[in-house]
Amino acid sequence: MSLFDRVFSGADVMLSVAEDQLATAVNDLGGDAHVTFPNTAYFLSCIYAFLAKEVRTLDDLNEALKAIKELLGREQKLGDAFSNGIATALLAEVIEGVKYAYNPAPYEGTPCHGHMTDAEVRALGVPLVTGDICGVVVLANPAPTVAEAVDLIKDYQRRGVYVFLLGGIIGQAVEAGIQMGVDLRVVPVSNDGWGVAHIISVVARAAMIFGAVKAGDFEAVVDYAFHRVPAFVNAFGPLEDIVVAIGAGAIALGFPVITNETKNVWSVPKSLIVQTDLAKMVDTSLEARNIKVKITNIDIPVSVSSAFEGEIIRKAQVHADIYGARVNAFELVRTKDLHEIEDHAITVDGPDLDAVEVGAFMPIGIIVDIAGKNMQEDFEPVFERKIHQFLNMVEGIMHTGQRDMIRIRISKDAYAAGFRIKHIGEVLYAKLKSDFEAIIDKLQVSIITDPAKLEALRADANKFYDKRDERLASLTDESVDTFYNCILCQSFSPSHVCVVTPERLGLCGAVSWFDGKATYELDPNGPCQPVTKNKLLDERVGSWEDVNEAVKKHSHGALDKVTLYSILVDPMTSCGCFECICGIEPTSNGVVIVNREHSGFTPIGMTFSEMASETGGGVQTPGFMGHGKHFIASKKFLKAEGGIKRIVWMPKALKEMVHDRLNATAKTLYDIDDFCSMIADETIAEEDPSAMMTFLSDKKHPVLEMDPLEY
Amino acid sequence: MRTWEDFTTIEDVGAATKQVLDSLESRCSGCEFELWEDRWKAQQPQCKFGLEGVCCSLCGMGPCRITPKAPRGICGAEAAGIVGRNVMRMVASGTASHSDHGRHICHVMHSASPDGPYRITDEKKLLALAAEWEVETEGCDIYDIAHEVALVGLDDYGKPFGTARYLTRATKERQELWDREGIAPRAIDREIATCMHMTHMGNSTKPEALLRQAMRTGMADGWVGSMMATDFTDILFGTPIERITEGNLGCIEIDKVNIVVHGHDPAMSEMIAVAADQKDILEYARSKGAAGINITGICCTANEVTMRHGIRISASFLQQEHVILTGAVEAMVVDVQCVFPSITPISKCFHTKFITTSEICQIPGAIHVQIDDEKALDQAREIVRMACDAFAERDPNKVFIPAIKHHGTVGFSLETILKKLDGVTNSFVDERQTYKPLIDCIKSGVLRGAVAMAGCNNPKIPTAYGHVEIMKECIKNDIIVIASGCAAQSALKAGLLSKEAKELAGAGLRRVCDLADIPPILHMGACVDISRMMLLANRIAMDWGIDVPQVPVVACAAEWMSEKAVAIGHYVISTGIDTFLGVSPPVSGSPEMYKLLTEDVKNICGATFTIETDPDKLVKAIVNRVEEKRVELGL
Repeated sequence: MSLFDRVFSGADVMLSVAEDQLATAVNDLGGDAHVTFPNTAYFLSCIYAFLAKEVRTLDDLNEALKAIKELLGREQKLGDAFSNGIATALLAEVIEGVKYAYNPAPYEGTPCHGHMTDAEVRALGVPLVTGDICGVVVLANPAPTVAEAVDLIKDYQRRGVYVFLLGGIIGQAVEAGIQMGVDLRVVPVSNDGWGVAHIISVVARAAMIFGAVKAGDFEAVVDYAFHRVPAFVNAFGPLEDIVVAIGAGAIALGFPVITNETKNVWSVPKSLIVQTDLAKMVDTSLEARNIKVKITNIDIPVSVSSAFEGEIIRKAQVHADIYGARVNAFELVRTKDLHEIEDHAITVDGPDLDAVEVGAFMPIGIIVDIAGKNMQEDFEPVFERKIHQFLNMVEGIMHTGQRDMIRIRISKDAYAAGFRIKHIGEVLYAKLKSDFEAIIDKLQVSIITDPAKLEALRADANKFYDKRDERLASLTDESVDTFYNCILCQSFSPSHVCVVTPERLGLCGAVSWFDGKATYELDPNGPCQPVTKNKLLDERVGSWEDVNEAVKKHSHGALDKVTLYSILVDPMTSCGCFECICGIEPTSNGVVIVNREHSGFTPIGMTFSEMASETGGGVQTPGFMGHGKHFIASKKFLKAEGGIKRIVWMPKALKEMVHDRLNATAKTLYDIDDFCSMIADETIAEEDPSAMMTFLSDKKHPVLEMDPLEY
Repeated sequence: MRTWEDFTTIEDVGAATKQVLDSLESRCSGCEFELWEDRWKAQQPQCKFGLEGVCCSLCGMGPCRITPKAPRGICGAEAAGIVGRNVMRMVASGTASHSDHGRHICHVMHSASPDGPYRITDEKKLLALAAEWEVETEGCDIYDIAHEVALVGLDDYGKPFGTARYLTRATKERQELWDREGIAPRAIDREIATCMHMTHMGNSTKPEALLRQAMRTGMADGWVGSMMATDFTDILFGTPIERITEGNLGCIEIDKVNIVVHGHDPAMSEMIAVAADQKDILEYARSKGAAGINITGICCTANEVTMRHGIRISASFLQQEHVILTGAVEAMVVDVQCVFPSITPISKCFHTKFITTSEICQIPGAIHVQIDDEKALDQAREIVRMACDAFAERDPNKVFIPAIKHHGTVGFSLETILKKLDGVTNSFVDERQTYKPLIDCIKSGVLRGAVAMAGCNNPKIPTAYGHVEIMKECIKNDIIVIASGCAAQSALKAGLLSKEAKELAGAGLRRVCDLADIPPILHMGACVDISRMMLLANRIAMDWGIDVPQVPVVACAAEWMSEKAVAIGHYVISTGIDTFLGVSPPVSGSPEMYKLLTEDVKNICGATFTIETDPDKLVKAIVNRVEEKRVELGL
């Protein structure tokens, strides 16, 4: 039996399960029974991406099944092994589709996650480009022992690899009490092999969302996966034919399979690799997919990895609770002269964690002093925000908030492992220095826990914050002579370019004008380049000849022109990982804004996912615009169409998030008080624009007096 | 997006030539010359006895021709003996040619000095060869080592006893077989002399005896003369590494002094390349109104310099007249082999200087500059100056350069191939510097096997049709192609040496191309570099733990024409590689000899010739043989 024969046999097994289950379901539920995965605009996205079939019912699924069978050629060639492999994943999606036809939440109450929502897929975009997620592994089948399963999962997690678990290894992870979930980047997908459909679905949607791949463009999906999705598989023996067939599908997409199985497998360079020593599994796998892990060796007693960024520390687990709302707690980055500071000096002034009452509030001041020939005061807030990210990466530490409103929780486990206050300094020193080495020549960290000294220090810190706010307030698109483009996302969205201005941050929310400037300083040939704005074309919509030239150049000709302030005229494109999507609501002549986290409908009859699927991948879609949350309160938001007055609907949570700043902008621009109270939300209207219209006229929303929006 | 089908048609490959010929009348109305196309027509029908190999003119009693009415020559020789002797003489000539080229390179290496025109470039390779041949290197000057190694190499041409040194590079099984079957070559010159002696009037007519000597002589070509030419040329001018080149008549540049180097032995063209890069020479070219100097190549000299320097290939064998017809060639400088005497009359219609440089290749009407290895650079400078002078005489009204050329990646020496294979290993699992990744691809079925495409162009096949269509079909079937000589140039002109050509390959080969970052067809060099292919096949067999005939690798000479190709065919089958010929050798006049070559020879060396003049049928036979070999291996 050849390797290809095993693939063919595995595909046949999947086919017979799919046929049986589908026939039974049609019998039980009828052919017109609905088949949907939750919160996606891409139907059963594997079938949609590869075959352009929009599956809505069991009958549709039957049609899809016929098309899938066409892929089951049997020539002894890799081409047929690949198409059988992909067909196996599509058949798996048929089986999972049937599962969801019976029960819209089939995984509820199990440790498994099943289908990933569009929002969850989109959220992967930024960490994948920044390298916070350096790869994606699928661990299939039980590892030889529970201990080895735990070691592998933890090792991947520590190195920033996103982990999908499939089949028997999930039980092992549960048994070992491993914390799992989308936030922790360890996702138990399904105990069944056909759960693989939900993983391939993520890849298929990434191609459509970020890569602007058209549904049905089989080759383009494969090409996108091969070149832009750093995924790979670890499959543990004994391997059933069905797993070999799934493996062939993975390999077809460019994802190498590394296995400890030695019987009836054939090594294929960079594709199917036999590694019997599980201790070398991770290194072997990363090399196979050419993944370089960003490693900063930090000598502290707990792990530091982006995988721990989503870790939640609950009250019962807290050793020390640092909370700016209750005690004096703040963090501050200051610029110093080179001679003023001693590199790598970390001082702790006051009691350490041993001295605090367990679970009680603890005061702290974290002052990071930076000196460097390329350091600028403008970078202080950029680095200061990094404190949030870097401390969150520490296993057993949770960080939220900013400035003097921070909350840091240190877990009992971290304390027991030997974590102490000085280690905060070590982490910040190591991470800031390694990530910004072109800017930071010297860095010292002073941590003050002595309550007596903190009152005055906090007041001093506030002087810094105030000064910064003044500078920020004076910083407008008009007051600078340079914008920055950002093409960080081009590794997965090859024709998208962001133009980042002081009043319009990148649509991912992660790149402000300062970030763009700092990134450029850091790497003058890097993803952020200065964009001049000398040749104004149209002030109203925000278009410049030089901005257009930059966009044309950096999109490799995919895009000729963009405006910065209009949703109708050449709006800025999106990679797909935007925080919010804004779309025109025709009844009110306004716009609705919905954030990624909101899964319900909007008054334009679409969900976030559906609206988002209208744009992305660097495609210009007038009437839809992806953007960052912060942009909502900008004076430049939809400036060409009349500004923020056009906002008629936002989810409640988003409204609360931008409340103060949005109200302030409305007051400045139009002298309107409490503008947010005029904006509808899901408690007022979901799919129904008429309920919203009633609300708007009750509140005398200013949009009602505005000119119609015209394309 | 461009579609591959569009520009890999044969019409496209020939389009550059067609444009040149179509525009000829308007440019050169007063000129009188003929082209090979005209002479090919004039030669029809070709002599049946010659085609079948049954004309014997070895003595003054003849010529004798074998017919049903006259089945024996005057001496009594039958068809089989006559065919066998004729073929063996072709092998002798082919071996003499490659080996004499190899011998010249040995002499060049013996003349190498740190301040002379020829220097040592690849010291590592020289030291490895010195170690292989047990030449003392400890504390020795690298040039002393080079001279000693050259002498040891030259010894293989005329040594009184023993067999060739290089044979130990083969698998144990091959070495034993060659000894057992009496086809391990002795000194090169002796094997050629034995051929000439055996075929003298009144000597051998026993078909198998003639075949065995032809094989032994072929072995002296592939495993001695050619291999030495390859090794020593690498040592002198650098082992090829991956490079980009271009091919076809569009490589001629209108504003530059165009010098076309042609032939096989690169010693002289290497010097031309050095000279053309010298500042004073460049200034001289500019003083004549040229923007610079553009060196391009034809035939295997082109393959040699493109592999080592990326110098472009303006023409292959059957385009050697056409390139002059562009009217923009200032000089054609030739060394040895495959040069048409017709270049003289054609070049006289233009301003083109036709310069011969070797006593081996002297042609009426050409300017002869006999190259002396010690003074080669000075002589090359003079030749380049001559070309610059000619630039001023160019008639712009006669110039037409078709804007047709394709790019490709070349330079696949064994060293480059191993580097590419290392690139797909996993350092936690695999060894490096082995052929195991390639073997794994074949074992798993990702690649079905490999085909070595070699040989010339021949008017008997529509130019390049055989090469290009066979290669396309092979890669479509996940069979990787290695190519040399004019076969490789046909691939280049069809765009098949570019990495983008993977789009024409089956999913398996395409994936290999993606992962290893290679084109689906690997250009391994000139015709002497088929020695690289022999080593490749043997090393794959060794790393696999089998013998060469078992490896799913076959060879194909779809458009062969020269006697060297006949010699090559004999050493390729002797090495255990089935060889597919697209042009029939002159053997069909003897069913006995035909059967010996296409069937019974397998009992000697484990491989045979397959003769099939229809390229479509030929490639089917190739694909089938590769699959048969897989079945025999239980894959």
